[in-house]
Amino acid sequence: MDILVGSIAAGILIGMVLALMALGLTIIFGMMDIVNFAHGEFLMIGMYAGLLTAQTTGMDPLFTLPVAAAVGFLLGVICYYGFIMFLLRGPMVAQLLGTFGLMLFLRNLALLFFGPQEMVVHKGILVGKSFDMGMGIIMPATKLAAAVLSVVAFVAVWLLMHRTKIGKALTATSLNAQGARYMGIPTERMNALAWAIGGATVTIAGALLVNFWYVNPYVGILFTMIAFAIVALGGFGSVPGAFFAGLVVGIIMEIPGIWDFFTYTFDSDWMADVPMTSFKYMWVYAAYFVIMVVRPRGLFGWKR
Amino acid sequence: MKRVILVFFLFCLGAFLSLCAAPVMADSHVIKIGAIYPLTGVAASAGKELRAGAELAAEIVNKVVGGLDITIAKNAGIKSLKGAKIKLIFKDHEGNPTLGADLAKKLITDDKVVGMIGCWHSSVTKTVSAVCERYGIPMINDSSSSPTLTKRGFKWFWRTFPHDKWFVKDFFTFLTGMTEGKVKGVKAISKSDIINIASACEKTEFGASNDDLIKNFAKEYGFKLKKALLYGAKAPDVSSEVRSLKAAKPDVMIFVSYTSDAILFIKTLKAQKAKPKIIWGQDAGFETPEFRETLGGDIEGVLTRAVFLPKIAMVKKAAGQVNRLYKEKMGHNMSGASARSFVGVQTWAHVLEQAGSTKPADIQKTANAIHIPGKELVLPWAGVKFATTGEEPGQNELGSGLIAQYQKGPDGKVQMEIVYPFDVATKNMIYPFKGF
Repeated sequence: MDILVGSIAAGILIGMVLALMALGLTIIFGMMDIVNFAHGEFLMIGMYAGLLTAQTTGMDPLFTLPVAAAVGFLLGVICYYGFIMFLLRGPMVAQLLGTFGLMLFLRNLALLFFGPQEMVVHKGILVGKSFDMGMGIIMPATKLAAAVLSVVAFVAVWLLMHRTKIGKALTATSLNAQGARYMGIPTERMNALAWAIGGATVTIAGALLVNFWYVNPYVGILFTMIAFAIVALGGFGSVPGAFFAGLVVGIIMEIPGIWDFFTYTFDSDWMADVPMTSFKYMWVYAAYFVIMVVRPRGLFGWKR
Repeated sequence: MKRVILVFFLFCLGAFLSLCAAPVMADSHVIKIGAIYPLTGVAASAGKELRAGAELAAEIVNKVVGGLDITIAKNAGIKSLKGAKIKLIFKDHEGNPTLGADLAKKLITDDKVVGMIGCWHSSVTKTVSAVCERYGIPMINDSSSSPTLTKRGFKWFWRTFPHDKWFVKDFFTFLTGMTEGKVKGVKAISKSDIINIASACEKTEFGASNDDLIKNFAKEYGFKLKKALLYGAKAPDVSSEVRSLKAAKPDVMIFVSYTSDAILFIKTLKAQKAKPKIIWGQDAGFETPEFRETLGGDIEGVLTRAVFLPKIAMVKKAAGQVNRLYKEKMGHNMSGASARSFVGVQTWAHVLEQAGSTKPADIQKTANAIHIPGKELVLPWAGVKFATTGEEPGQNELGSGLIAQYQKGPDGKVQMEIVYPFDVATKNMIYPFKGF
């Protein structure tokens, strides 16, 4: 029983961080129907921002979030005004290839500056500590902190979108950009803001992840794929959808643990021989595929 | 005037030709050997060690070094080749088998290397040796341990390093020795105390072949393998793997991992408060200085298959002498990786010296007949002698392994102590593992 509860708890914990990571992707898509292939690279930059700030200033990696957020915010604004704004004038395929190019550019830039070797956080107040909650739930302190801070960031973004004038302007722009422009909303600036918020949330997620995940210039691709699965599952453009889908994907990633529970419960030899851990990310992509076929707009999708 | 122009023209031509000839003349005094190692990427720390070990061996070959009782230090260069110097051309395969094969082709066709050495990752050695076999270029593998490498019947491939079958067998012999009271400082324990085993092997050539070996030897020696999982190498997160291992309630945990995975596993075991009685790393990552430096006191009591320990100097004079030079150069003791590449280049030097030629066919003939005695080596082996018949042609028949345990020294720093072979144990073994 321990392994079942432990696996689900671990899945929910990591799911919260994954949800925050996918939030930026869904906001950007919701605003301007553009799929950002470079999303994982934004995350990678966030991870480097957190790690390098911690290393150079000596502060705990957990307190580097404001720096990571500022880097992501700026990155989003620069990408929008320097690149995306022009892409939006082109056909859909140009937008797809454009963000794909941005992905390659950022990755190689990181390769140039940071080299291909991995970097890991080895020191920090929470690194290496964990809490035993009983029932097989052991929560590493870094993951717990990352999950809690992710929820805080999520709530902040939700409040911004639903309780402020800027949020209303963002929603108006995403629903009908031309109409919003007639009403005096500076839609260009709103688009840039969407990129900035998207960038900041994903770099915060990166700075949280780097507490327990290694970083190298190639780390983005894994997360881009997971983020796509989350956004597809939650519905393109839906903020609460991204949150719940993040949790679901987190639990899906723990399927090997759940499988182990049944293996030991039934004491089954053939189940023990199935190499579940070898395919732990496969289930995420399988879920992505199923949701695309069965319900293309996702669980909470409002855009058709 | 015409004559002046002609003389000037001839002078220019002569100068040009002599410039062209200069490298050729210089080349006749160097023997190029391609050295393909993981110099960047996740195994970069091992790559750095491999490079340093190989460079030190080449330096010793190329000049007379006093105070060293090994043959390669006696002459400047290869005596039978008129003092030709060994020049290692290093290339970085980043742990990528395809890149490794491309680099091997370039080294052979562009740099015209006489032979090859490398590559640490068994998967890369596999592709690089296939290229060498196709071009008929000799390769001495110094550092890969997958048993399949010498089972392909290659004619241009020799391996100085003993392979994983011996190491895994050593470990099960060691476990059996624990039940018989053979381990220094540990009273005979009941087999039921350590009967349940769980293993996690990375999914490339190295781990997959070990996974099979662990399954076979566990059966042969009467242990229960409760869980044997394969995980994606360079794993970003292994918490679900560790949970799965823990659920099997093993007494003994075995890991087959390269450095970054090995560090991640120990960190995750700690975070999840795992407490098996024995943790054994089938080397690679577990033996690297980076592993020890990163994890510090957390690894006290962890066992690893080891290749080189400074304490070998107690039984081998050459090990102490070479290690002293290495420490002067690098600031730290030789590691398993640097000792392996040192022996690799040393073997190359012996082969070239005895062959007295750089022709592939002569090298092949000499390598098949060579015998380097154990006293020449920095490793605790009986020597280097390659098998020419049987199932594993090209495999060094005189190699052997060690099992070491990380223990805190008098200065509080964690260091390795030999616990197997039983007769050369340097300290009492810590049993059971105290937990994190």
